[in-house]
Formats: sequence, structure tokens, C-alpha cells
Amino acid sequence: MVETNVTVKNRAGIHTRPAASIVKLSSKFSSDIYLIRDGFAINAKSIIGVMTLAAEQGANLTIRADGEDEELASKEMKELFDSGFGEP
Amino acid sequence: MTSTLDNIVPLKIDKITVDELLVSDLKLIKLTDKVGLDNIITNKNIYRPQLALTGNLGFFNRNSVQVFGNTEIFYLNSLTKKKKIEAFKTLAHYKPPCIVITNGHKLEEELLDIARDEGIAVLATQYDTTKTTFILLEYLDDRFATQAVLHGSFVDVFGVGLLFVGKSGIGKSEIALDLVERGHRLVADDIILLTKKKEKIIMGTGTSVVQHHMEVRGLGFIDIRKMFGIRSVRFQKRLEIIVELVEYKHGEEYERVGLDEHPRKILDVEVSSVTLPIFPGKNITVIAEVIAINYLLRTYDSNPAWELSNRLQQELERKTKDPNMFRDMRYIKDFQGDTE
Repeated sequence: MVETNVTVKNRAGIHTRPAASIVKLSSKFSSDIYLIRDGFAINAKSIIGVMTLAAEQGANLTIRADGEDEELASKEMKELFDSGFGEP
Repeated sequence: MTSTLDNIVPLKIDKITVDELLVSDLKLIKLTDKVGLDNIITNKNIYRPQLALTGNLGFFNRNSVQVFGNTEIFYLNSLTKKKKIEAFKTLAHYKPPCIVITNGHKLEEELLDIARDEGIAVLATQYDTTKTTFILLEYLDDRFATQAVLHGSFVDVFGVGLLFVGKSGIGKSEIALDLVERGHRLVADDIILLTKKKEKIIMGTGTSVVQHHMEVRGLGFIDIRKMFGIRSVRFQKRLEIIVELVEYKHGEEYERVGLDEHPRKILDVEVSSVTLPIFPGKNITVIAEVIAINYLLRTYDSNPAWELSNRLQQELERKTKDPNMFRDMRYIKDFQGDTE
């Protein structure tokens, strides 16, 4: 199991499109991937779940990956967050 | 087998602020304006500071809401002005988060000033102490309740709260959709917020963002409330049965009798559960309805599994006395005349 801390960088936060890219990326991996905020762990492969986080700019989340490709999954997920989902 | 049920992380809320009390049903009036509204309450019990006012601070709980009822107010009023201020200062010195005054009593301006200086919120209600205590405890119990979030589908089927859990893609949402189509009511899909109430009940709701929206793979978001109308949804429901959907595996054992209710612990509350193997051609919706009706029978009538088992027991006892095999086994003693 790998846990990585990330911060939401883009101004608009995780709205529908970034949520969709998170789900799209995490669904590529066989590992279980969870996004944790304020103690609530949400499956990163569930679009409804990721949207429930309503993570605004500056929100701190933890990515927890557990499975065969956990290292790669954590790395790519962190890169996606760091890129600000391609938004300003 | 790892199921979503095994990795529930309970979220304990250990503090609330005083201004959260203002939305309770107590209709609280602020006697000290904005003073102390950000104070933190870390205890879900309330405290009656009768002895604390007399100077006995043995069990004084400074983190609780302090309730001033008739006893406290009449005690304070029986003192001389100097003594009264002294008594109130002893309590105020410990900076409790807030004071709730019942029965529509008022505190004198001098005492309110002390409260202001110490940053204590003073709130008043018209209700008597018993009612205030009841409402306040109920409210605090809810605010401090343990919560958890779970992936699944939560549907009210014939008034029974069924929570479908299982691996992603096994068809939880589709079953929920099918049940709604048959007239049952959706509580929430995908993200279910569970709240423990009164140590033995689990209540489930959706979230404020998602409400009754649902994601259907390949289609996107749909709004169940708009599509199927207001009677197809509910906002809250007690969790009564957990239905775990698993892929059918040859050789694995599944329940065949139903004498045992397979209680599972969720947030330390026992909830009965059913494990349903899924294979092509199996109509889970109908089985879900049967699970709900069976639960109603078990709760309000009798457990069919027990009934059948008891009948067999009686038959076995009869047989030991009269070993005449099949003579009396027929359910109908005499056929009706029309032989239809």
C-alpha cells in the first residue's frame, strides 16, 4: 500500500471534468485507489464519489493505492494532480 | 475475500462549535450577541452546574454545555449581589463553551458582563429544563454521531432499507435502477453516508452534492428524482439488511436454509446480511423484493425458516410414537368435491 499526499492546484478545484480525468486514469490500474479527505475514503474509480469530495483549490487529499501496480498508479495520479488537470 | 464492508473507516466527530446549537429545535436566543459563538464543545453530555456554583468543582465538566434551570437560577437569586457575582465567577473562570438558560429566565446584566469578559456564550430558551435536556441531548447525540462512507446502492424496498454492496461493476446501480422502475425508492447510489444513531441504529443518506443522481456506465449521469418523480426517492432510511453481491463460484457454499441471519457489524451495530451469488439469467431484483418481504415476515410475523424447521421437528417427534410413514403426510386431508 502506498499513500501520497497531494494538493488541488487548479483554481476551479475538482469539478466535473477533472473528476472524470481522475476516474479515467485510476480505472487504468488494477490496484484499489482511494482518495481520502477529512477521514472519508472515496474510491477514485467512482465518478460520483470523486465529485462528492468537492475538493476546492488548496484542498489536501491523500491518494492510497493498494495492489500490483500501486507504485505506478500513485506516481501517475500525483502527476495528474500536480499538472492541475491541465487547467490554470 | 475482501469486501467493501471490511474497510469501513468510522469517522468520529469530537468537537462542534457553539453556533451549531443555534440551528437545533431549542429556538435559542443569544443573550451575549456574538460572544463565544466559535467556542468548541468537546463533550456530547450536558452539565447542570448546581454544585459548581456553590464552589464544589469535584466533577465539574468544563467542556460541556452548561444548563441553567430553575435550580441554578433560584440558587443564584437567593444570594446577595456580591455572593452571586462570586458564585458565577467561580464557574465562568473555567470558561465553559456556553450556558443555556431554560424556562425563559434571564441573567442579570452584571453576570452577562462576566460571561462576555470570559468569552462564554449565553443562550436562552423558553422550554423547561426537561424538554431542553431532551432536545439538546438528542441534537448533540446526532452532531457527535459516528459516521462512515460506503460504496454501494441504498434502496427502500417495501419499506425495508436494503444496502447493496459488492465489487465495482457487479451491477449494484443497475439493481437499484431496476427496483426504482418497479416502484421502490432510491435513497442514494454509489456514495452512502452512514450515521450511527443511539448506539443501535444505522441511518443511511446520500450526499448534498450528488443527491439522487446516479451514474450509469456508458450513459453518464441521470437524475432519478426528475426521471421517476418524487415518490421514487427518499432522503433517509434505516439500514436493515446488507445484500452482498458476489460472483458465483462453483464449489463455494451459499445459504440454503435461512435460519441464521448472518449479522454483520457496521460501526459496531449488528445488521443482518445476505450474500447473493450472481450468475447470468438470475433476476436479482425479484430476489431483492423477496428478501425485503421475508424480512417483514420475520419481523412482524414469523420466520418461515423457523416455522418449517419446527414443523419438521413436530413430525419427527410424532414419528417416534407412530412410525406410520406417509399416511398423514398429505397437507390436504380431504379433497374438495370438484377435483379441480
